[in-house]
Amino acid sequence: MMEKRPVVEMRNIKKNFGGVQALRGVDLVLYKNEVLGLVGDNAAGKSTLMKVLSGAYIPDEGEIFIEGNRVELASPMHARQLGIEMVYQDLALADNLDVAANVFLGRELCRRKIGPLSILDKHAMEQETTRLLDRLKIDIPSVRANVEKLSGGQRQAIAIARATAFNTRVTIMDEPTAALSVAASRKVLDLVRELKAQGNSIIIISHRLEDIYQVSDRLIVLRQGRKVCECPVVGGLDEFREQVLAYIIGARDDFAGGGQEGS
Amino acid sequence: MLQQNIRDFGMYIALLVIVIVFAVATKGVFISPRNISNLINQTGYIAVLAVGMTLVIIIRHIDLSVGFLAGFLGAMAAIALVFWKLPVFVVIPLILGFGILAGLLNGFLVAQMRIPAFVATLAGWLGYRGALQLATVKTGTIIIPNEAFNAIGNGFIPDIPLPGILPGVHKATLLIGFIILAAYVSGAIRDRQKTRAYDFKVPPLNIFVTRLVCTAAVIFLLTWILAGYRGLSWTAVVILIIFLLYHFITTQTVLGRHIYAVGGNPEAAQLSGISVKKITYVVFASMGMLSALSGMLFASRLRSATTQAGTLFELDAIAAAFVGGVSASGGVGKVSGSIIGALVMASLTNGMNLLGVDISYQYIVRAAVLASAVIFDVATRNRTV
Ligand SMILES: Nc1ncnc2c1ncn2[C@@H]1O[C@H](COP(=O)(O)OP(=O)(O)OP(=O)(O)O)[C@@H](O)[C@H]1O
Ligand SMILES: [Mg+2]
Repeated sequence: MMEKRPVVEMRNIKKNFGGVQALRGVDLVLYKNEVLGLVGDNAAGKSTLMKVLSGAYIPDEGEIFIEGNRVELASPMHARQLGIEMVYQDLALADNLDVAANVFLGRELCRRKIGPLSILDKHAMEQETTRLLDRLKIDIPSVRANVEKLSGGQRQAIAIARATAFNTRVTIMDEPTAALSVAASRKVLDLVRELKAQGNSIIIISHRLEDIYQVSDRLIVLRQGRKVCECPVVGGLDEFREQVLAYIIGARDDFAGGGQEGS
Repeated sequence: MLQQNIRDFGMYIALLVIVIVFAVATKGVFISPRNISNLINQTGYIAVLAVGMTLVIIIRHIDLSVGFLAGFLGAMAAIALVFWKLPVFVVIPLILGFGILAGLLNGFLVAQMRIPAFVATLAGWLGYRGALQLATVKTGTIIIPNEAFNAIGNGFIPDIPLPGILPGVHKATLLIGFIILAAYVSGAIRDRQKTRAYDFKVPPLNIFVTRLVCTAAVIFLLTWILAGYRGLSWTAVVILIIFLLYHFITTQTVLGRHIYAVGGNPEAAQLSGISVKKITYVVFASMGMLSALSGMLFASRLRSATTQAGTLFELDAIAAAFVGGVSASGGVGKVSGSIIGALVMASLTNGMNLLGVDISYQYIVRAAVLASAVIFDVATRNRTV
């Protein structure tokens, strides 16, 4: 408990889309080796906040610190170089490519270069992928299978594996279980636990409070672009659900009148 | 499994049917060594376009400008040779360079200005048609007297002078044919062994052997027929080089992987740090270069640049790509397939010409083949999903 080191710190993040105030000054801290749940009603600003952190949106205002250093995230690529990986709500896999190709998409291993052409090292990528999937206990028939042919759960697992594969500091998952069956969801949640056990720091967005309850250490509730609750995940599921729902629908607000509106 | 095979083998079956039908209808003329040699030369200018078009369609675009661009650049080559009196070895890279520029222009319109490729390249279709007519307006057809240039479309590779050994057989062609055969067979076997060594599933042995034997037989037969006639044409050499180059790029390089990724899921590719814009530029530039090559092959073949050069090449190239298994929804397609597709389209034209089919019916038949290829694609795709 003593040395809870923040990996990510976001301060007073604001983001407008035309007239819509998607984020009205949100603070967020993620500690090392922690799973942080992020919940809230539709349009609360969850995805927007995470897209800011992953470099997809540039915030209108606010600061971001990665392991204590102030950063200006210019693009998803930039965020990625800093170790921030996002698993998108709408799966970001190329269906026409195989598992190994998807895991290494954009960071292919090469054998050598001929002029401007880099030659793929397919064997190394397949081996690495096999090792990665084994380590995360992900069950896939073959790393040469086109992801198009895999189930939703398997595809989600690959998207997550891919996000955590390369010296990742923070993995952001936007509704990783939204499109999955109960059984497939359970596997993804197992994967989240496995990742935590292996030392990863994770932010997970979900509308399923049981999911958040099962895997998260801490929870942040957003409502209409503001943080209304930040608390550890403790107690029984029913009590937890009741409390969190109160925040989600706006019956409770820990940060009301905090002056987020004006400045 | 069966579906995969139907998609893969569809074009071979189509080609086989076409060859048999025309062989019977023309009483064997279609498969005479002379006509086969001819057919390969006719395939050349469609095949190189089809290869470029494959990449364009893989990244979910289309290029309608390639036909008249090829015609226009063929005329430019003729002008450079005849009026500017430039030597061949300058003209060829110069025209290829023009092609790349034209391709980059399309790339700019599509990637930068975000104009739908269909519209941007339709403007090119019209523009290059005008440019072609302007280029040939004073003289009409430009006759190209340059033998070296004309050899690309009409000439054959020189033979190895070995008096007494195999008279009447083109030994250089035979040698090249056997090298290709050996490389293909050993490559296929090595690939299978490697795949097995890494514990991946391989197709059943009988399917593997059947495919190997069939392909080897085709290579052997083609080599034998060509060696017995006048040997490998320079056009065939060009097709071979383009095939090897593009096959290598699409299957073995990071660039190729990124092209497929952009076709499969542009958003995912972008989020993975792949520049969709850059890939679009590269693919259109390559298309432009291949259009230039196609235009020169055609001009060289006719020994002249005509006002009509390039007409409907784009249709044949697009049809060749679809016949060759490229998917209209993007992300799927092989260079080898498109070359077979080009052979199908060239065979149709060649066979119908031999039979003296009226040109209006020829258009309808080619359109029907294009339509059926796309229908086939959609039908076999839908069932997989
Ligand atoms: N690119 C955009 N352009 C315009 N408005 C946007 C954009 N992205 C988000 N918004 C708006 O910002 C607000 C917050 O959206 P956001 O996607 O962050 O919500 P969310 O909490 O992720 O909701 P959900 O649970 O439905 O995914 C919404 O009102 C949404 O319409
Ligand atoms: Mg969302």
